[in-house]
Amino acid sequence: MSLCQNRLQEERKQWRKDHPFGFYARPQKNAQGVLDLKIWECGIPGKEKTIWEGGLFKLIVTFPDEYPTKPPKCKFVPPLFHPNVYPSGTVCLSILNEEEAWKPAITIKQILLGVQDLLNDPNPESPAQAEAYNMYKRDRAQYERRIKQIVRENAAP
Amino acid sequence: MEQLPLPTSLAEVETLIRALYQPNPPETISKIQEVLHRLQRSPEGWQLAQSLITHREDNIRFYAALTLIIKLNRDSADLSEDDAKRLLESIIGWVIQSLSDGAGHFVTKKLCSALVTYFMHFSHLWPACVRHFIYCLDLGRGASVESLDDALQTDLLVGKLDRQKLRAAIWFATSFVEEVGKTDMTAPKFIQVHGRLVKNGPDVVCLLARGFSPPPDNPGLKIQGEALACFQRASPNPELVAPLRHLVGPAINCFADADLFQATAELFSDVLANYSAFFTDEHYDALASLFESPWAAEHYQRLLHGNHQEDGISFGLLLLAYGDAKVQDLMRSTDSRSQRFLESLSGLLAADGYLVGEDTIFVPALEFWSTFVETMIDTTYSDEDAAQAWKPYADQHLKAVVMNCWRKIQWPPAEVFAEWDSTERVAFGDARKDVSDMLESVFTLEGFSLVSFFTGLFLQGLAARSWPELEASAFCLSALSDCISDDARYDAELSKVFASPFFDLLGQAHGPIPLRLRQTGLGLIERYCEYFERNAQYLPNALNLLFGALGDSVLGGPSARSISTLCSSCRSILTGEAGAFIRHYQTIRSSQVLESLAEERIVLSISSIIQAIKDEEQRLHTFEELYSFLKKDFELAVQLKANPNLLNLRHPDFLRGLDPPNPQAIPPPDDIALQVALRSMRCLASMAKGMQDVKEHPIDLEGDAQTQQANSRLAALQENIMRVLVEVQGVFSTSGEVVEIICNIFRAGFSETEPGPFVFPPDAVTNYFVQQRFETPRIGTLLSTACSFIGSLYRGPKAFVPAQLARLVPWVISILQALPEPEADTEITLNGISFVDKVMVKSPEVLFHPHHASLLEFFFLFSLKVLEGKEPLPKGAAAEFWANFLSLKPPPVPSASTDPAAPAALQQTLAAATAHLGPLLARSLVRNLAGGAARSELDRLCEPLKRLVTTQVDAQRWLQAALMDDAVVGGAAGAAGADGGGGGGGDDGRVRVGVEERAAFLRRVIA
Repeated sequence: MSLCQNRLQEERKQWRKDHPFGFYARPQKNAQGVLDLKIWECGIPGKEKTIWEGGLFKLIVTFPDEYPTKPPKCKFVPPLFHPNVYPSGTVCLSILNEEEAWKPAITIKQILLGVQDLLNDPNPESPAQAEAYNMYKRDRAQYERRIKQIVRENAAP
Repeated sequence: MEQLPLPTSLAEVETLIRALYQPNPPETISKIQEVLHRLQRSPEGWQLAQSLITHREDNIRFYAALTLIIKLNRDSADLSEDDAKRLLESIIGWVIQSLSDGAGHFVTKKLCSALVTYFMHFSHLWPACVRHFIYCLDLGRGASVESLDDALQTDLLVGKLDRQKLRAAIWFATSFVEEVGKTDMTAPKFIQVHGRLVKNGPDVVCLLARGFSPPPDNPGLKIQGEALACFQRASPNPELVAPLRHLVGPAINCFADADLFQATAELFSDVLANYSAFFTDEHYDALASLFESPWAAEHYQRLLHGNHQEDGISFGLLLLAYGDAKVQDLMRSTDSRSQRFLESLSGLLAADGYLVGEDTIFVPALEFWSTFVETMIDTTYSDEDAAQAWKPYADQHLKAVVMNCWRKIQWPPAEVFAEWDSTERVAFGDARKDVSDMLESVFTLEGFSLVSFFTGLFLQGLAARSWPELEASAFCLSALSDCISDDARYDAELSKVFASPFFDLLGQAHGPIPLRLRQTGLGLIERYCEYFERNAQYLPNALNLLFGALGDSVLGGPSARSISTLCSSCRSILTGEAGAFIRHYQTIRSSQVLESLAEERIVLSISSIIQAIKDEEQRLHTFEELYSFLKKDFELAVQLKANPNLLNLRHPDFLRGLDPPNPQAIPPPDDIALQVALRSMRCLASMAKGMQDVKEHPIDLEGDAQTQQANSRLAALQENIMRVLVEVQGVFSTSGEVVEIICNIFRAGFSETEPGPFVFPPDAVTNYFVQQRFETPRIGTLLSTACSFIGSLYRGPKAFVPAQLARLVPWVISILQALPEPEADTEITLNGISFVDKVMVKSPEVLFHPHHASLLEFFFLFSLKVLEGKEPLPKGAAAEFWANFLSLKPPPVPSASTDPAAPAALQQTLAAATAHLGPLLARSLVRNLAGGAARSELDRLCEPLKRLVTTQVDAQRWLQAALMDDAVVGGAAGAAGADGGGGGGGDDGRVRVGVEERAAFLRRVIA
């Protein structure tokens, strides 16, 4: 089995054993119903005591063949209103960037927790979409109202 | 924090240490810790340790041992080789003394740790540390390392130790294998340390062998537990595998001792789970025999029927670890021993008690079976040719697994559930989700039989009115919804469920069905929405059920979601029901205030049905019916805003304006008016979304504007909607949300290719845009919507386009002109540049029309400023704009509607613009490359540079002028400092770059 597959099997095992509250992460199935370990469907809950609390956001994590040498790509589906999420839904986060802070030792759990942290703690240094970035910078009250609306539309079951 | 003074006598130190271990306020403790740390780190630290290490008080001795460790880690480099040798003898002596003078175990253990720390720093002076330590223990004193040459063989030495000394030796060995194991064996610093660990391996095994069969003295002192612990710590070291394998037999024997069972089970589970290759076939065989013994049977029964909280589940985890390690072999097995073993593993899913508070073995057991199922799937799909004689056996086990899971996930009675704490509740829900995941995998193997198994259980549960069983069956069927295909066989099977009297019971407002079952039942309808598309006869009943649940505080939200899923995908079947659904909506509205999101979903659902009505007149009529509710809301909001005295909170129409629905204080009428408006705006946006066509239609790109003339009823409707939008925006002119929703409504229409109420005539949309001012809230979002608008124009007949663009370009640039500075609002700048870029690429003749000359002059300079700015997003857009500008080619063949002389004129304009702007662009790019840009921006900035060099003959001259200008290169203050990138800049970004370097750079760029 390839290093990538091996590692993903192990990640899956570890996730099943122990995962943070309110999250989910499972490999998708292909047409024959067989698991495709390289594409995971994940759910990121908004952190407690933040404006994101109560929301659950779907994230598709795609692992390249070179994983874990190269980082996976994380994409919110549908794209999320957030300063560090590209209009396509792709998340801009240093630990997901091969040229920045990605390390092969980073686990799926750490990635998802990192993305959860990012929700309420955007990084204005690397904007990825103008709408959320601009509102976050210029009109915080309206930004927060908008987030609350988004949380309502994506309420955790 | 104020520091304590350093103690001046040993007595003071002792007092401080005593105080450290006594209950004291945290700040006192940290003060004491601080002063003691200072003392430990000082040169007197060694002496302090020595003076206190034989103290009569254990705490003080412990602290002295700790001090030794700290000194060894910090200052061992200062010790001469002789000092170090003497120190070793002393520490060993202190260990031996601690054994004889009755010191606490924790003191002896800490001293053993100090010895290991010593080894880490001086392994070259103490290579055979285990054997030497055993030798000294036997001697009863710390002896020199050299004297070891004359000692007996290790097994003989070990044989001479009494239990107490044996235990100390094992403590040392445990800490030794553990600490060395933690270090990186490939790091140069530790290669030798690991080499010496390997050499000590046989001595460790010798010691542990004795530990498993200790001398007869002092039988009360249990050594085997210590030996097991040492074994467990040693097993991760690949170097020790071979020698340690000799100890597996003695370790297995420890299972029989009730006191050692727990530790033994932990050891074996750990090694099986993490280093399964550690065990040989004989070991696995020995374990398998053990699992068949009466001893194991007794443990197994206790696990199934005992108390997991009190007795633990170690035995179960051991079985599962064994199963996990051998899952491939077990799956392919047909022998009776393996079958019995797998039976016992499926039996673990049927222990007594509720998940997860009482039955804690279910979740780990489920994990094993999930692995088993996935292994089966992999094998089934990878070796198709093999005979697979094992398959029927494995299938049999899966049946038991599925049945046990179905039983286990049944909800407890409400009173039991009420007593659970939140963690138990969440864990119960999670376990159900795990089961549903596993069932999806099982379906891959079992297919239809799995579905019919659950429909059978469903009908049985219904007949017996056993609600928990019925709920579990419905839940399991829901779990399979994504797997089931549109095969008629499956539909027939599902019809048994959907035609059953269950759904009649579900519809009864005060019927017998408990809340959870209602939830799962309604959820089942949503999950099988595609089934209802194919079996429309059951659809109205299902929807009626869902509408009936809308008012319920728990079921309302999920029901609204189910309704919108069903209506959207079954729209064409439901067109006859549109009127009935509107009346449903009207009834609910007049009696209560639905949750806002639920209402939006209902409106969306009804709109998607309306969209599917074939007859245009009827479609518009039904649309107007639904729209009329919203129109009244808008009127109410506008009136209330004008006249606050109208507020009447006893009337549901006004209550719609409370968000949240039960506020602590009544908000001012203005706020209520705004909320009423926003709520209805969101509903209108839902209508726009619902009216979007789900089918694809051909587009006539060459058609002319006239063919799209809508019928007059539609035109009037569109006009009305547009008027309402403008009015609401005018009345609530400070609300950004209103603008945002208007943008969403527009966008919903832009993507449509067929006429509809929200597919406004381009003129109307343009009229709307050009009335918006820089001061309009969310003007940046409006610009982004305008970008989508022109995108949609290009998807339709081309004849429309130039006239709209000619009006929009001045509007967009006027908004940019109103900006106090280019970076004041990134959204405006980004979308403004993108807009002009889009127009330039698609219709350069419109953009470069002589009318726009002065606007363009502003825009070009504006975009150059942005290119030199610090905001990454607009900067990227500006780079793209310039790259596109440099690649512009006028259209080769004049289209019928334009002036035949146009291409030549355009060519001229472009040439003049390039000649004027080229040097300026070159300066901006060079300024960026010389340190103005962040590393991550360089890729995008290289595009215009490349185009400049490849398309412009003067590029070299322009770039050279920019490069040689100190105001451009030398003065580039480092914005690049932000992410450390960029070249050229020094600390202050003003370090001069030599002329030769600049010239070299230019040569490389031009080459």
